[in-house]
Amino acid sequence: MYKNKKKGIAGIVITIIIIILLVAFTNSDANQVSYIQNICNAFVMPIQNGFTYLKNKISGNDSFFADMDTLKTENEELKKKNSELEQSLRELEIIKAENDTLKEYVNLKDKYTDYTTVPADVINRDISNYSSTIIINVGSVDGIKEEMTVIADSGLVGHVISVTKNTAKVQTIVDTASAVTSKISTTEDTIVVQGTLEDKSTLRANFIPTDAVVLQGDSVETSGIGGIYPKGIHIGTITEVVNTSNITDRYATIKTAVDFNKLNTVLVITNTVND
Amino acid sequence: MKKFLSIVLIIVSFLIIYFIQSNFFTWFTIANIKPNLFVIFVLCIGLFAGKKLGLIFGIIFGFFIDVVIGRQIGISGIMLGTIGLFGEYLDRNFSKESRITIMLMISAATAIYEIGGYIFNIIALDINAEIIQFVRILIIEIIYNLLITIVIYPLIQKAGHALEEVFKTKNILTRYF
Repeated sequence: MYKNKKKGIAGIVITIIIIILLVAFTNSDANQVSYIQNICNAFVMPIQNGFTYLKNKISGNDSFFADMDTLKTENEELKKKNSELEQSLRELEIIKAENDTLKEYVNLKDKYTDYTTVPADVINRDISNYSSTIIINVGSVDGIKEEMTVIADSGLVGHVISVTKNTAKVQTIVDTASAVTSKISTTEDTIVVQGTLEDKSTLRANFIPTDAVVLQGDSVETSGIGGIYPKGIHIGTITEVVNTSNITDRYATIKTAVDFNKLNTVLVITNTVND
Repeated sequence: MKKFLSIVLIIVSFLIIYFIQSNFFTWFTIANIKPNLFVIFVLCIGLFAGKKLGLIFGIIFGFFIDVVIGRQIGISGIMLGTIGLFGEYLDRNFSKESRITIMLMISAATAIYEIGGYIFNIIALDINAEIIQFVRILIIEIIYNLLITIVIYPLIQKAGHALEEVFKTKNILTRYF
């Protein structure tokens, strides 16, 4: 009985470690090497330190036998200074975070001067793997209505699908049910941009006109057709054009301008230039 | 009184699970895929407290999720209600006393919930079916749910038997005869 309980606890601990490792490895890309490096270092460095200690001792490096009292006093002073510095660092970090948020708001406002906008914070994200909606902290009391366009510093986020008094639900452009009529900014060809299940930064451009020349690196923006999104808001950049045997079926993948995983601040366009 | 307290506890647990799912598990993901704690929770209600509670709580919790964050009201309610009923069916046919059977039940429930929900979404929202991507996400989600089940299995057993005592006392012995 006792053995079984012990085994059970060990199993749970091992599973937790596996989950943490899986989460860490699958969510890191370029930093993967440094992760492995850190883990290897954690194993090797203590032994390496031990060897260095022994080597220093043998070679007559007697710095370990320095005056202990002086070292203790120095250590106390340094500890005190360190805690003071840590305190000021924390205060600075808070001020920096506040400053960043304010800067973000100002930048956003400056960029989209043609529109009347209401700034908002993202307060909740979708819990499902198959849809992508967000909740923002502005609602009907702030003048928000359904179908209003939501943008971020780098481009289009989505549109409002429902509103409560103090919050609004936004369907993002990466949601699989989202379709935005757009145009390729260089050629002015109209395409339909849809969300995919692939990941939260990839869109798929369908209904590309047969005579359109679509190139990797082309910028995509809203066309103004469809009645929800105003014209000229940046959506993303074409990363790949997939040609099929039937030219009408060809499609392109687009990398969104907005990083939806790090989206914290948005602007809701309450009226357009046409209003 | 015991029943009332248990129902209050179920609702409180749901709210805690909701906040864990919508905060912690939006970034603590495996390959950007989140687990689905609601499926585990509602299946356990159906499994230990019976189909009535499983169905009712499944529908209520699903409706709540749809209203708060979902894009189409009703789909999560229908699917979580189905999972509650599925829990009772599993209880009648399989033993709940083994970690492996609980893990298999949760895998099946996750698959039913997500496949059903995806089909509903395709019909209701007219979205393109992306089978390969869907299967990839589903497999990772099931694995994640399984890993979580291994960790919380002792809790499932304890809380489950407590629920069973309150809601199924009369049935425990008689149903086998």
